[in-house]
Amino acid sequence: MNEQPDPTPVDVSSPEPEDEVFPEERQLLPSFGNIRLVWIVYGIFGLLLLITFGFVTFQPIKVLPRVRLAPGYILTDQEGNLVNNEQFRGKLTLYNFTYTRCRPPSCRQLDTIMKEVQDRVDEVETYDLPVEFVTISFDPEYDTPEVLKAYAQEIGADTRTWHFLTSEDPKQVKRVVGTGFQVYFHKRGEGDYEFIPTIILVDGWGIVRGIYNGRVYLPTTDRILSHLNVVASEAAFSKGANRVGYEAAHLFLCYAD
Amino acid sequence: MKKLSIKKLWKLFVGILVVAVILFFGAYFVGTKLRPYAYHGMLMQSTEPPGDFTLIDHNGHRMQLSDYEGKWVILYYGYTFCPDVCPTTMMQLGRMMPLLGKKAKDVQVFMISVDPERDTPERMKEYVTYFHPSFIGLTGTPEEIADAAAPFGIYYKKKEVEGASGYLMDHTASVTVLDPQGRVRLIWPYGTTAEEMAEDLLHLMR
Repeated sequence: MNEQPDPTPVDVSSPEPEDEVFPEERQLLPSFGNIRLVWIVYGIFGLLLLITFGFVTFQPIKVLPRVRLAPGYILTDQEGNLVNNEQFRGKLTLYNFTYTRCRPPSCRQLDTIMKEVQDRVDEVETYDLPVEFVTISFDPEYDTPEVLKAYAQEIGADTRTWHFLTSEDPKQVKRVVGTGFQVYFHKRGEGDYEFIPTIILVDGWGIVRGIYNGRVYLPTTDRILSHLNVVASEAAFSKGANRVGYEAAHLFLCYAD
Repeated sequence: MKKLSIKKLWKLFVGILVVAVILFFGAYFVGTKLRPYAYHGMLMQSTEPPGDFTLIDHNGHRMQLSDYEGKWVILYYGYTFCPDVCPTTMMQLGRMMPLLGKKAKDVQVFMISVDPERDTPERMKEYVTYFHPSFIGLTGTPEEIADAAAPFGIYYKKKEVEGASGYLMDHTASVTVLDPQGRVRLIWPYGTTAEEMAEDLLHLMR
């Protein structure tokens, strides 16, 4: 059977010839003039992807991970006063773990780094967040408050913000340093401990934010100072709409070096 | 200059309106649904559990924290003679449970006594079940309590006061949320409401 030719003449001067270009898409989504809804949707998702990619690549906000909880404790300071972890809430605290009979070079001390950080802490913007220093001795039998006080003077620590802590109860020391801060120490003999020299940065919530292990390489003062600024910045600015950016930085592991 | 017909102007107007509406709802969707959830508590990235502990539950049985692996565990450290902070927090936790809906069965709330001298298992049972029948009160020797509190950042200390009670306990007032692997995931400060707790927990449990 022969097909009959279509009697309807073709209108070559059709007013909207562009509508014929993507007939399938037009069935799914409407179009408005030259702007098609499908391209708007693609554009929004493309922009989202671009923003996410840009955030992950350029990391405009740097944070430090919230590693774990710092332990709760009550210990005795170099003046014989009781000191507890709640006193450091709302402050940045650098902890160091050692014993006073540890003498370099045979025994690695991080006190010198703590002292440098204390001396230079004013160079760092901490947005009025106080910075405190705590040295906990795991040799309570020898490191009495009097010994710790003499040691603090010897190394030139400013004891207004640097606290030297111990306990009469060795179990409490083990609970706080070993179990709580997870710093290894082991008594090898009288006045001789095997331990991993460590500095730990704790934020105002009592959360460990930085662990500087000095077993192989010594942590640098500059790095610790820069981390104080990173944590202080988050505490100061992670509020309201900015908090979303900081949480995104945690989510995408945008950690400071 | 070529004049636009009324029909084309109308189409242009509708087009702009639709684009504006899409952009508005797109921004709303991105801002509310796709943005990282901002917890009311402090989210942690712990990779290891802080540790296990052994205590006595309010039925007098020995329990270990690790017995509850697989559940979302909420730890609150307080004491039954506590005049204000503890009952307020326990009440919020009690109100949180029904807000969790079906997921409540995956959550176990423990109140750990920081006053083992006075908080017997019987007293703990009476106290915690008042706030919610599923809550479990824990107590132990002073040594066991110390081992259960320190790794979770909890401080407590006896404070002598004048009056019939004899003493109060100073203690950390935050609430700790552990995931089913025993890792600390969230810290709620004192004052977090039941609704905020439920919202955070439901988001974590997704």
